[in-house]
Order: sequence, then structure tokens, then C-alpha cells
Amino acid sequence: MRTVLKVVDNSGAKKVMCIQALKGKKGARLGDTIIASVKEAMPNGKVKKGKVVYGVVVRAAMQRGRCDGSEVKFDDNAVVLVDKQGQPIGTRVFGPVPHELRQKKHVKILTLAEHIA
Amino acid sequence: MVLKTELCRFSGAKIYPGKGIRFVRGDSQVFLFSNSKCKRYFHNRLKPSKLTWTAMYRKQHKKDIAQEAVKKRRRTAKKPYSRSIVGATLEVIQKKRSEKPEVRDAAREAALREIKERIKKTKDEKKAKKAEVAAKQQKTQGKGNLPKGGAPKGPKLGGGGGKR
Repeated sequence: MRTVLKVVDNSGAKKVMCIQALKGKKGARLGDTIIASVKEAMPNGKVKKGKVVYGVVVRAAMQRGRCDGSEVKFDDNAVVLVDKQGQPIGTRVFGPVPHELRQKKHVKILTLAEHIA
Repeated sequence: MVLKTELCRFSGAKIYPGKGIRFVRGDSQVFLFSNSKCKRYFHNRLKPSKLTWTAMYRKQHKKDIAQEAVKKRRRTAKKPYSRSIVGATLEVIQKKRSEKPEVRDAAREAALREIKERIKKTKDEKKAKKAEVAAKQQKTQGKGNLPKGGAPKGPKLGGGGGKR
């Protein structure tokens, strides 16, 4: 809640603020979906400022445990905007994305990504 | 048994599965740390080459190199491999390899002698030709003029043949 995340696709938004984590009592982590409100947007984009959108967290500064026991952490907090069905709104994804998205069935985002960490 | 031990980016230690922290930077570069000590030092921008306990420092200050050098010396010398190549079948190569040095010298001298004789022959021929030309010119031009054909004899062939 109230976390400002960077948007790393070309859907038009630049910064969103989380208003609800869809799963988890303690909050959303890497790979979870959130509901967010667009705080900053590009002038001509698919989403405008003030819109309520869904997003998938692709980078989190908080570490998340992996199946083999190691932990991953990224440099920043980033999100990719999706619609209610889970398909990404934008057509490109910038920066590294984690493996965890495959388990959560966000395969589309993985294919668009330029680097899978 | 073990999946695969990675190496810590900072200290060079082995990271067994289940341990370690993986940090992905904004430019998609992945760093592996064996424990939070290495991670902390990395984030505080300390240089591993300045910390005595890291592998980088040891490599830079050449510790433990004597042991590695001893290990390397154990490799056996390579034997000359007999194989036929394009242009020389195996028999030809083996024959040439087993030739005695005297035979080789004799062959070389014979070749040299041939070349020398060839050159001498060509030199004599050229001399004869020039003499003919000179004689003809003398007859046609008259007695006063010196034979111009005689002076330029061309490059000395004797010196070139001898060196070979």
C-alpha cells in the first residue's frame, strides 16, 4: 500500500501507487498482482493519470526465496501493467524479470522481457 | 550430489545450493554473494582486491602460485604425430624422416651443382650471342666505332649462382 512503483512497459504510465495487494496478508511480493493507481503518465499513452489498473510486480528490492534455497533481490521496485485477465497492456518490457513469473503463469511478460534473471 | 556450486562474485568462495544471495542490478547484471558479509561490503562499495581474505586479493598478490606451478609441470611432452598430409603420403614422410644426414647432404650438393652448371650454360650462351651481335655491328658500322654491344654485359650472373 502506498508504495510507488516504476512502470517498465510502454503502456504510457510512468509511476503507479499500490492501493491493494490481491494476495497475501502481509503484502505483495515479487511476482504477485496488485491493484494500483496511476500517479504519473506520459502525455499520449494508453493509460491516463488517475486510472486504477492491475499490475504484476516484476522487480522488488525485497528478497524472495527461490526453490533451491537462494534468494533474489533487485535494485528497484517495478511493475508491468496488465488487464484483469493477466495479459499485459503494453507491448514491450524493459529491464530484467525473474523466473518466478513462469510459475504464476505470466508467460506473456516473460516472452516480452529482454533479460530473465 | 550437488547441483552446481557457484562462485561468489566478491570473495571467490564456493556457494552451495541453498545458500547465497543473488542480486540483479538495474542494468541486468547478476551478482552472486556467498553471505551477507560479501553483500554488505559490495553495497558499501568496498573493493575485494583490497581485502586480504578474498580470492581477488590473493591472486593479485600472487599467493599460492608456487603450488599451481608445480602442478602444471606434470604434463607429458607431446610426441611427434605420424599422419599423412595432402601432398605427402605417410610413406614419403617416413622415408624423408629416416634419411641419413649424409644422404641429405649429397642430394643437396647434387642439386647445387646442377644449378651452377645451368647458370654457366646460360652465361656462355649469352656471351656467344653478344659476341655475334657485336661482330655484325662492327661490320655494318665501320671500323671507327667501338662495338657498343660489348660494353653493357648485363648483371653479373656468376655472383648470384655462387651464393646459392
